[in-house]
Amino acid sequence: MPKQLVSLIIDGQSVSVPAGTLIVDAAKQVGIDIPVFCYHPKMEPVGMCRMCLVEVGRPVIDRVSGQPVIEGGKPKIQFGAKLETACTTPVSEDMQVVGMSEKARTGRKEIVEFLLTSHPLDCPVCDKGGECPLQNLTMAHGSSESRFKFDDKQHQKKHVPLGDLIWLDRERCIQCARCIRFQGEIVGDAVLDFFRRGRATDIVTYSEPGFDSIFSSNTTDICPVGALTTADFRFGARPWEMNSAASICTHCPVGCNTTLNIRREARSDGNMVIKRIMPRQNEQVNEIWLCDKGRFAHHFSASPDRLAKPLVRTGELVTESSWEEALNLAARSLVEAKQDFIVLAGGRLANEDLFNLKALADGLGGKAALYTHMGGGYLTTLAGVSMDTNFGEMGAGTSILVAASDLYNEAPLWYLRIKQAAARGATLILAGARETKLEKYAAHVIRYAYGDEAQTIKSMQKSKAGQAAAEALASAQNLVVLYGSDGLGLEGSASLAEACAGLLDMTGHAGKPGSGLIGVWPHANDQGAWEMGFQPVADLAAEFKNKLVYIAACDPVGDDPALAEALKSARFVIVQELFQTETTRLANVVLPAQAFTEREGSFTSGERRVQRFYPALPAFGETRPDFSITASLAQKAGLELEGTSALLIMNKIASKYKSFEGLSYARLAEVREQWPLVGRGDIYYGGAIYANTQGLGTRLALLEAGSLPGTKPVESKRPSESELLAIPVCKIYDRGVTVLPSTLLHPHIGDASVSLHPDTAVRFKVQAGSTAQLTVNGTAYQVKVLVDEKVPASVALLPRSMGIPINTPATISLKAA
Amino acid sequence: MRVFEPLIELARGLGTTFKIMLEKPVTVQYPEQKKPVKPRFRGRHVLKRYDNGLEKCIGCALCAAACPADAIFVESAENTDDVRFSPGDRYASTYEINMLRCIFCGFCEDACPTEAVVLGDNYELSFTNRRDAIYPKEMLIEPAPAGTLPTPQKVPPGLYTRSVPEMKDPQD
Amino acid sequence: MSLTEKYPQEVKKILAKYPPEQKRSAVMPLLYLAQRQEGYATRAAMQDIADLLAITPTDVASIIGFYTLFHDEKEGRYRMQVCTDLPCALRGADQFLQELCTNLQVQVGQTSEDDLVTIEEVKCLAGCDKAPMFQLQGENGIEYHENMTVDKTLELIEALRKSGKEVK
Repeated sequence: MPKQLVSLIIDGQSVSVPAGTLIVDAAKQVGIDIPVFCYHPKMEPVGMCRMCLVEVGRPVIDRVSGQPVIEGGKPKIQFGAKLETACTTPVSEDMQVVGMSEKARTGRKEIVEFLLTSHPLDCPVCDKGGECPLQNLTMAHGSSESRFKFDDKQHQKKHVPLGDLIWLDRERCIQCARCIRFQGEIVGDAVLDFFRRGRATDIVTYSEPGFDSIFSSNTTDICPVGALTTADFRFGARPWEMNSAASICTHCPVGCNTTLNIRREARSDGNMVIKRIMPRQNEQVNEIWLCDKGRFAHHFSASPDRLAKPLVRTGELVTESSWEEALNLAARSLVEAKQDFIVLAGGRLANEDLFNLKALADGLGGKAALYTHMGGGYLTTLAGVSMDTNFGEMGAGTSILVAASDLYNEAPLWYLRIKQAAARGATLILAGARETKLEKYAAHVIRYAYGDEAQTIKSMQKSKAGQAAAEALASAQNLVVLYGSDGLGLEGSASLAEACAGLLDMTGHAGKPGSGLIGVWPHANDQGAWEMGFQPVADLAAEFKNKLVYIAACDPVGDDPALAEALKSARFVIVQELFQTETTRLANVVLPAQAFTEREGSFTSGERRVQRFYPALPAFGETRPDFSITASLAQKAGLELEGTSALLIMNKIASKYKSFEGLSYARLAEVREQWPLVGRGDIYYGGAIYANTQGLGTRLALLEAGSLPGTKPVESKRPSESELLAIPVCKIYDRGVTVLPSTLLHPHIGDASVSLHPDTAVRFKVQAGSTAQLTVNGTAYQVKVLVDEKVPASVALLPRSMGIPINTPATISLKAA
Repeated sequence: MRVFEPLIELARGLGTTFKIMLEKPVTVQYPEQKKPVKPRFRGRHVLKRYDNGLEKCIGCALCAAACPADAIFVESAENTDDVRFSPGDRYASTYEINMLRCIFCGFCEDACPTEAVVLGDNYELSFTNRRDAIYPKEMLIEPAPAGTLPTPQKVPPGLYTRSVPEMKDPQD
Repeated sequence: MSLTEKYPQEVKKILAKYPPEQKRSAVMPLLYLAQRQEGYATRAAMQDIADLLAITPTDVASIIGFYTLFHDEKEGRYRMQVCTDLPCALRGADQFLQELCTNLQVQVGQTSEDDLVTIEEVKCLAGCDKAPMFQLQGENGIEYHENMTVDKTLELIEALRKSGKEVK
């Protein structure tokens, strides 16, 4: 039901806003900036800082008649004796708000004066200087002289680590509680709170480890002073010394919009480097937030270990080579191989790279495959989400089903937005074999044993817990289904995807607005690969034998050492990569590729949203963009492909693939005004987040669903009493190629570990915290044993990408080391 | 009489010349004699130290921000008690001034919150290529006062806990 | 041993007082319980209470920090909180506190040598007409001691030292 509109006058300007709007927000809509510190447009107001004081006048109501008193044709307005806070006061009809009177101005000046009595003179050394709301509002509203004796300023601890990623400066804190409220309200993890009272009030964290939240770095954006700063960017540079480039985070399929801040530095030998990553506002993807992995795992881009020149192997000897020589050799082998070759692409590649790889494979008659452990993607192109689906707008009437996915670790911003949707009234249903963090907000939880994923979805009505859930799914106006790969390999996840798509079909939501299937992919652009027709292969070893293998942006041998033999039996191996990996060590030609920070392109997020990223840094060494390498190779092999302009490739994609129809770089760069206003002059309001001036991206069109394929039965391993089944799960901080170079995350990455239920640990005679020997597929590894009551019995949770190869549930043996 | 007029004019001119010749010249015999500079003369930059040998510069980059010619480049780093450059959290690990860009306006000196960078009296600067015109910190920092150690110093912990050192009002 | 294991009956009684959807309100009585043994709430006790009430240890810590009677650090076995606000001061509470500290050879806020008693200075215990007075917080809860002199206080401390129990 649309809210009733209320008219009022703010500083002489008339404004009409929905009932319930706060005065601060109403003023913002007509361009009047009422200064705030503790208020944040995404959180409930508290009225703690008293900076937004304004004079409020309301119509006088006659006590007898209950009607407003009319004087001279207009309602008589009576102003309150004291100033009121604009952030806690909702608008009312015929209200008059005056913010520019002497009284209001003096009130504001005095509040700033009070705040500054406890605030140290740290501006020269404070990281927030230059983007500090306190600095800006003091200049705008404060007094030019202070009446306070500087010797009386209180001294407190200045360099307190809240966890190892965020520093707290207790003297600078103005006790606005934005950080506490963000953690409590938005994240749902109250790991920060006040300690003591009055002038001695501090911020503390008592979680183990400290500030245990993957959204901790967002507090440094919304903190109005330099109290919370990141350890990564401590004394890095001044905000005005850095240049910005719009980009997209590539660590998970959410596709958060980021801004890369870069500077040319002496300590980096005169190279331009990324100093920090800041969120860029996109209310339909990540709003104004980022997770810590996306914020801090950028050091791979400047790592000296990156490949800078092409490498060529002759026999056992690997030498650096020129591009001409390396490409000639590779092209010659490609031509000789005729149609006996396979292109294996990783999900880290941009849309343009994938297009060229597919075009090369199709043009020369070879096979194109996606390197992934998660299948079912073709269904997301048929039953995917529609143009207007936005987690931020979901509420009552929407049902969200999350199956086999630990969103907190796999796609943190989806976890955050779905949790908020549930708080707004959306029905959240979680189907999982183990308890995950999102379950706290779920209306229905369906627990199954590993191996029964697809079956559980198909026969949801049969179980009691499932019945209520099935009801909620069927009766929802919109239904969004997210499926992941927790404990699932290629076949298992494909089977689950089919079951979920079938569910959407059965409840009549397939193809409807606001509904659809979303895959929680392991990589940023898996969706783009699926959209362009890439398919995974089940048996890579069989595919490699005697063929020419062209690998781009993936490390099959590093993930599974058993593939080394298969790759050695290949005819010729070409690898395009950023770093030396186990796969590049077996390659005949290694071509150094640019990271996404050095070139432009576009990614397709898991929600089927195509977003552009822009170059931030010059090319590392002699690296070239992936699409350019593929085009050069193709050209030498007799096939013409676009290799210079990513924009032209996007035009080709738009004309070739129906779902990309109508897309162009210009369209992707379109922006609209977004609410709340952030950046530039509005940093006090929304935080030091960057405004989005370089593109919001757009959704892909939905293809005709037709009839969705039926589900094939899949043989999955199930846990049993007699043996230990290792289940692959996702851990947010893993040993991924783009994560490991960030040394500050190493304490979070830790060593390879396995999680067991306490009873299971007893049964296999291993102790919590000790080192054990784990044997999987014949190879033994050292692991640390972790014990957790939430782990189901008879299984061992083994995170992927931690050095132990596991893609699908496998029987293991475990014994104390 | 008309034949004398040019002679009279000549004599007047020559008289002025001879008068001036006998006056004391204002020429300063540079480089043997150097005229002392005025008190607020703006010459080559100097990064000052405290009496205990620690550097005054806290790496805040306000001088770089104030410079109208973008001549100053600053990178900051953290002090520890084992390796201490300045009293406080922060010091300038890189400090470079491009003398070719510098217009010697003195805005950097005005902006500095700790009176670290001052424009001193030295005006005798020369370089033969552009690279040499970029003066690094080693060239700009004044030597440690007699009786103190050069930075970095190792100091006892707990002595320097303020992030910006205590300052007195400037004297001139 | 967790709190529930140590005091099962009391925990149950406390939780029963509050509606199940607001059981977080039980945090304060549970904190008094947790403090009984050591005189302060240990990290383990904070975790226990957090798990019982489905809140975070940081939430529990914040409540400990806010109130003067909750402690998160080990001090003396007994805490002597002397009021020195204006009406008490008018009755000589300042001198009382000073003399007491001198006699025990501690500063205000410190603990005596044998870890027996911590002297703290607080504001207004509402015993203004019976000043000098203090409240004694120990393992048996909180007791008011009014109309005290330094001698009487020293006797009390002696008695505590010997028997471990309070003498009124």
